[in-house]
Amino acid sequence: MAKLTFDYEGCVALVTGAGRGLGFAIANALHEAGAIVAINDRTPDACTAAIARLGGGSRLIAAPADLSTADGPGQAVAQATGRGRLDFLVNNAAVNVERPIEATDDAHWDMHLHVILRASFLTVQAALPLLKASRGCVVNVASELGLHAIANNVAYVSAKHGLVAMTKAMAVELARDGVRANALCPGTMDTELMRDCAADSGDPDAYYAAFNRYHPVGRLASPDEIAAFVLCLLSPAADFMTGSAIAIDGGSTAGRL
Amino acid sequence: MEFAGKAILVTGSTRGIGAAAAELFLERGGSVVLHGRHQATVDAAAARLSTRHPGRVRGLAADLADRAQCRSFAKKVSALDILVNCGGIFREAPISETSLAMWDETIAVNLTASWVLSRELLPVLRQRTGTIVNVGSDAAMLGYAGCVAYCASKGAIVGLTRALATEAAPHIRVLCVCPGPTETDMMQESVAATPDEAQARKQWASYTLLGRVAAPREIGEAIVLAASPRATFMTGSIIMADGGATAGRRV
Repeated sequence: MAKLTFDYEGCVALVTGAGRGLGFAIANALHEAGAIVAINDRTPDACTAAIARLGGGSRLIAAPADLSTADGPGQAVAQATGRGRLDFLVNNAAVNVERPIEATDDAHWDMHLHVILRASFLTVQAALPLLKASRGCVVNVASELGLHAIANNVAYVSAKHGLVAMTKAMAVELARDGVRANALCPGTMDTELMRDCAADSGDPDAYYAAFNRYHPVGRLASPDEIAAFVLCLLSPAADFMTGSAIAIDGGSTAGRL
Repeated sequence: MEFAGKAILVTGSTRGIGAAAAELFLERGGSVVLHGRHQATVDAAAARLSTRHPGRVRGLAADLADRAQCRSFAKKVSALDILVNCGGIFREAPISETSLAMWDETIAVNLTASWVLSRELLPVLRQRTGTIVNVGSDAAMLGYAGCVAYCASKGAIVGLTRALATEAAPHIRVLCVCPGPTETDMMQESVAATPDEAQARKQWASYTLLGRVAAPREIGEAIVLAASPRATFMTGSIIMADGGATAGRRV
């Protein structure tokens, strides 16, 4: 099969929530394409471990910060931009704890709204001077749940819808500065988190089967195929693309079988 | 009288779209709890409407930015058919000048208060055939420069609507009415802050296909329809009452 390759040598990227899952896959893809990649996760250990898995070296920067706090996003950007340059900002960090609305409390609500939505605003704000200088690119990783809903996930669905709308407002405001912003809306991916959830469910096979059925294509996405698309979005091939909410969801928002 | 015997709570109803919706509910037989931030303003609005609709209006004050106040406010409502989450704020600033306080306040009032009130009042709404109508905006669908927090909050309220509708079905319907630019104090404040008011008004009107801004009552009608027994197969719906702003534009 044809393989898309990109050359991002010399470019600097910050990927939030890059310790595992999709964030790690995006960081890996950018690193393989030659970019200097700042790895954000909640703890220094998580960043160090991800950097070790990527093979270490001078093109990997640890940018640990707790994005649920007001100061965390700025700290992540500061650590990523020590070289005075930033080309790509990938807001990928998220939390996703399912529970019925009547079991949601303030801490649950705030954690989702802060990490998914507010942190994505604050990183862009902090990175704006450097993104304008590089005519850089923002990818906000939303979700198919930024486009429609499922039950028992009210905080996540609200935050992801907010992220899609915020991306459009940012794209419009920053368009004349040459800064692009797009929202990527992936379907369910086969990540560590998914495997944990499947194990917790007591019947992993049934859990996977239900999510496979949910997507018309009959399978989950691999983090690597979503990461490959992120590299397309960051590339000159997508230069005319801004403010888009792109579903990459195996057809889950398109209709039902 | 479509809303005879129905109890309706409309947040942000001392003026603007909320006031127009409250008045329409009253004209069609409903009993309305008005809400505003300050007791004096709510009392004045309630007194004004009570003369025409005696015994069917009361007023409660709460600051929607304050969750504790939202919760004690909800506790004062013991029977409810329709919750209209209309209270909102509109703060404009470029991304670089949007303060953390401005962001947090916008999310708190425009989004979190609707979550808190919906969550606290769901048990009350479940005792009847409850309906929740959230008020979004065309800004939930269209990005506007210079109000990133507002756009985020309104996009999120669409998500809240869909999530609640999915979870509360089939007993409770949840809808979102998205107004386009509307002739309210909120708009007036925005227009007055610009160097050329007339130009700013023209700009707002130009966002719509109809070439004008809405009267609050036109948006109130969409809210009342969404809440009415005429809309019983509508849930999770995002109703664009935006003069065509999101449908298309002339180049």
